[in-house]
Amino acid sequence: MSGADARLAAIIGEFADLDSREKLELLLDFAAGLPPLPPEYEGRKRVEDRRVHECQTPVFLWAERRGETAMLVAEVAPEAPTVKGFVAILADAINGRPVSEAAAIPDDILERMGLADVLGILRARGLRAILARVKRELAAA
Amino acid sequence: MPDYAHPDVLVSTAWVAEHLTDPTVRIVESDEDRALYTQGHIPGAVEIDWQVDLQNQVVRDYIDRTAFERLCADRGISNDTTVVFYGDKNNWWACYAFWVFKLYGHRDCRVMNGGRKRWDLDGRAWSNDRVTPPRGHYTAAEQDGSIRALRDEVLKHQRAGKPLLDVRSPEEYRGERMHMPDYPNEGAVRGGHIPGARNVPWPMNCNEDGTFKSAKELEKLYVKELQMKRRSPTVAYCRIGERSSLTWFVLKYLLGFGNVKNYDGSWLEWGNSVGMPIVKGDAPSQPSP
Repeated sequence: MSGADARLAAIIGEFADLDSREKLELLLDFAAGLPPLPPEYEGRKRVEDRRVHECQTPVFLWAERRGETAMLVAEVAPEAPTVKGFVAILADAINGRPVSEAAAIPDDILERMGLADVLGILRARGLRAILARVKRELAAA
Repeated sequence: MPDYAHPDVLVSTAWVAEHLTDPTVRIVESDEDRALYTQGHIPGAVEIDWQVDLQNQVVRDYIDRTAFERLCADRGISNDTTVVFYGDKNNWWACYAFWVFKLYGHRDCRVMNGGRKRWDLDGRAWSNDRVTPPRGHYTAAEQDGSIRALRDEVLKHQRAGKPLLDVRSPEEYRGERMHMPDYPNEGAVRGGHIPGARNVPWPMNCNEDGTFKSAKELEKLYVKELQMKRRSPTVAYCRIGERSSLTWFVLKYLLGFGNVKNYDGSWLEWGNSVGMPIVKGDAPSQPSP
């Protein structure tokens, strides 16, 4: 394993060993670490359709290619720490890594982390939709 | 100024702050985003999650009576406990949990007006302590069918031309908002609304700070403008029954409607079931040809 694979495997391993409460605490740690939206995206936020409509809370997401590497930039409302934490995990795993590695993120990542049961069916589905969108945009970029 | 029909069911953040250590009171947080509770909750509050705790994980339904009794005991709730619900999103999920507690006959349920938002605006403290209340003793009643509408009953209600409220956004009501490309299994396969349903989006019940609108404003909206009658049997629905449990709460407890039910199957059941009548567009009913 290398790159995003290894990084993700480490994150998954970290989550898998925790109890429900600790899983949510770690997710909150990731959420707190999501960098604020870079200023150049503020303007784009208003004109581009970057809203993730599948989410009930405002989430703006850009999954872009920088040469051969992937870059995930997002703004998530503070009242949605679960989404924010998940987006931060994805950014942590793929940013600066080859685009091909993002495509290899397992679709059942939430099950592997043990988060699917903690969050419930509908929330897990919402997060999977975000992963699907990131992969789709990178593939099309 | 006119008061709410049942003013006791609504408590202020100040009331909650005064009852934090009252052994007869249990504060319960229910959120759309459950990590919010972990991040910080009202000191001493327990969490009841609508998906993980209140829904049956196998059958699409609520937990059964035995599971409800277990849940209550575990959260330190007994039959005579005053349970105060609050949460994010203008108390959507708090009202949903309140409704489930009423479904199993819990006597003293209340909502903290304004939820998390108002608690925050009032500058009150959050805690992230793990809360382990002493176990409660609980015996639940059979489900109270007088507050829950099932699909076939809604169909009869619709055919009889009785009042129906669709509390979703106007886009959902008109049947425009159906494109959910990454939700192949969750979206309804048809868009629109139940024939005859009036569209009263749930935010019309709430103020900016998350509190409920005044009795006077609610009366103006439902009774004067929509000409709804307190005695008419009324059914409210949305997409999965959460936003409509807020409207149910408003009609029943704040305005004193005598016979109002929440259709918890809501659009995800109606719009996916074979043969259900549907209307698209702004008008409640299809114009006669």
